[in-house]
Amino acid sequence: MGKLKDVAGSVRRRAGDAASADLRRRVAELEEEMQEARALNVRVAELTDLVTELLVPLAQRDEEKLQALLARYHEGV
Amino acid sequence: MNRRLGGGRSPQVRDVTVDGDGVRARARREVILDLHVDGRRVWSFWLHRDGTPVPGARGLRLVEWPKTLRGFLDGTARMSVHVHDGSGPPLFEDDVPLGSGEGPIEIATPDGRPITLDRSLRRVVAFEAKSAAEVEPLMHAIGEVLGILAEAGVHAFLAYGTLLGAVRNGALIGHDADADLGYVSDHDHPVDVARESFRLQRALTDRGHTVTRYSTAAFKVEVAESDGTVRGLDVFGGFMREGLLHLMGEIIEPFRREWVLPLGEATLEGHRFPVPADTDRFLTITYGPSWRVPDPAFHFTTPRSTHRRFNGWFRGIRVGRALWDRRYASRPGPAEKPTGLARFVARREAGPAEVVDLGCGTGGDALFFARRGVPTVGLDLVPKGYATAREVAEREGLPVRFLELNLVSLRSTLATAALLAAEPRPRVLLARHLVDALGTPGRHELYRLARLLLADGGTLYLEFLARDASGRYGRKHKVRPRRPALVARELEASGATIVAQRVLTRRRPSRPGAGRTRICRMVVRWES
Repeated sequence: MGKLKDVAGSVRRRAGDAASADLRRRVAELEEEMQEARALNVRVAELTDLVTELLVPLAQRDEEKLQALLARYHEGV
Repeated sequence: MNRRLGGGRSPQVRDVTVDGDGVRARARREVILDLHVDGRRVWSFWLHRDGTPVPGARGLRLVEWPKTLRGFLDGTARMSVHVHDGSGPPLFEDDVPLGSGEGPIEIATPDGRPITLDRSLRRVVAFEAKSAAEVEPLMHAIGEVLGILAEAGVHAFLAYGTLLGAVRNGALIGHDADADLGYVSDHDHPVDVARESFRLQRALTDRGHTVTRYSTAAFKVEVAESDGTVRGLDVFGGFMREGLLHLMGEIIEPFRREWVLPLGEATLEGHRFPVPADTDRFLTITYGPSWRVPDPAFHFTTPRSTHRRFNGWFRGIRVGRALWDRRYASRPGPAEKPTGLARFVARREAGPAEVVDLGCGTGGDALFFARRGVPTVGLDLVPKGYATAREVAEREGLPVRFLELNLVSLRSTLATAALLAAEPRPRVLLARHLVDALGTPGRHELYRLARLLLADGGTLYLEFLARDASGRYGRKHKVRPRRPALVARELEASGATIVAQRVLTRRRPSRPGAGRTRICRMVVRWES
């Protein structure tokens, strides 16, 4: 009986270890995915800045103005 | 952030010695120690936090010489160790010979300005080495930058060490080496905070300031002092979100807007500057409740979640910058001879309309093409790298221009592409030791930029480390080997065709039996 208890305990421990290892792995994955999602903020900010600064002058098709603006934008990055 | 020493008496420090390893000492309680060289404080450290136990000597700890000091330690100097801000006699004082022991030890810049280590153990010319007149340009710059930011709609204030110094003594903190400003944005979304910060940067560059970015929400304005020291004036963006003040550099704490605004005033080096409305509360969330006690070795201990948030929301556009800044800090001159890749390209391409050297480094290859009369553009992350080449080109009247390019910033990559591509022409692009210096995001931006620049035809020539037999080549060139198959796969996924590929074997193995280091060369095109 005692031996059976030992075996049951060991099985339970192993199952517990496996479950906690699995949880740790999932938390690490989640953290990574969370950072991927947060990194979109950098992307969106950079793209929005480019578009807002350059789109209207682009539509106005004033070559000279656009070149000057591009140079200024590049300087200010 | 709240890790502090207990108040009260100075802890007892015993058995203090200084030798070639560093500083050894015994103390039951944590203590901040200062090392003085020829009577001048050079380095401060925490004995327990920064030291390691000396085996076999109970309670004795060794704090090793920081890497940043070791380069100076050849010769003899009068060294002493003091309890920081303690008034008693030194715990140790003697002439200490180090290395060869010959000649004096001088811890100074090549032009003789005294160096100290800051809390991150970086070499700095600290304010304590400066007279009031010498810091005047910085005071002037603080006023001017505050003014430009205010015109752009942001009310900035003294922050971090600069605020601490102003509130505590009305002066810059002696061991500090830069000045800090902060502001609390009206926005509460990271994207809007970043866009505002971009706008502020433009406002400053429009007025002739040199600005480098730490993140999409913080940047440094470079200020030249009267003796030529270039000091950083850091501008940290902040915002309120769900009752928490978020301030870059690195604070997320419960706070109220009215503890910041409307701003108050404090005196710094005889000038009046704006400060947060409640400086006590502000300094408490910055340095802990014992902010009044000086500690030059203070380390921020930031909650992990704060780092993760700021890293995710605002960072990743400066990867590799510190490494290349250091590499080019001394403004090395361009190489006399062109690289093998440049010679290879010159043989294959008869009279290209334009050559663009991506990651041009010190600009040797760019000068090589320009001297052959080819209109050339050199692009690199660090302007100091090509600064000398640019001067050479101006002297010789060469058809070359050098521009800054940050391949981990979309704004930089796309603006550079637009600026160059405005003149439609087939181009020859060189990228030597770039795919092996960049991480995955940087490589993808490189391919994007190459495709845009080759919209009117042309070829990209790539060269990178494919196998590093002993690790020596990679260390020298600051690159890591990349598998040619991986690079080819990435290029093809971006729509490129690999026209030719060759693996070059370095003539001699770097040590017997190490195998040979291999360099891969690729010729790449995009169908237009």
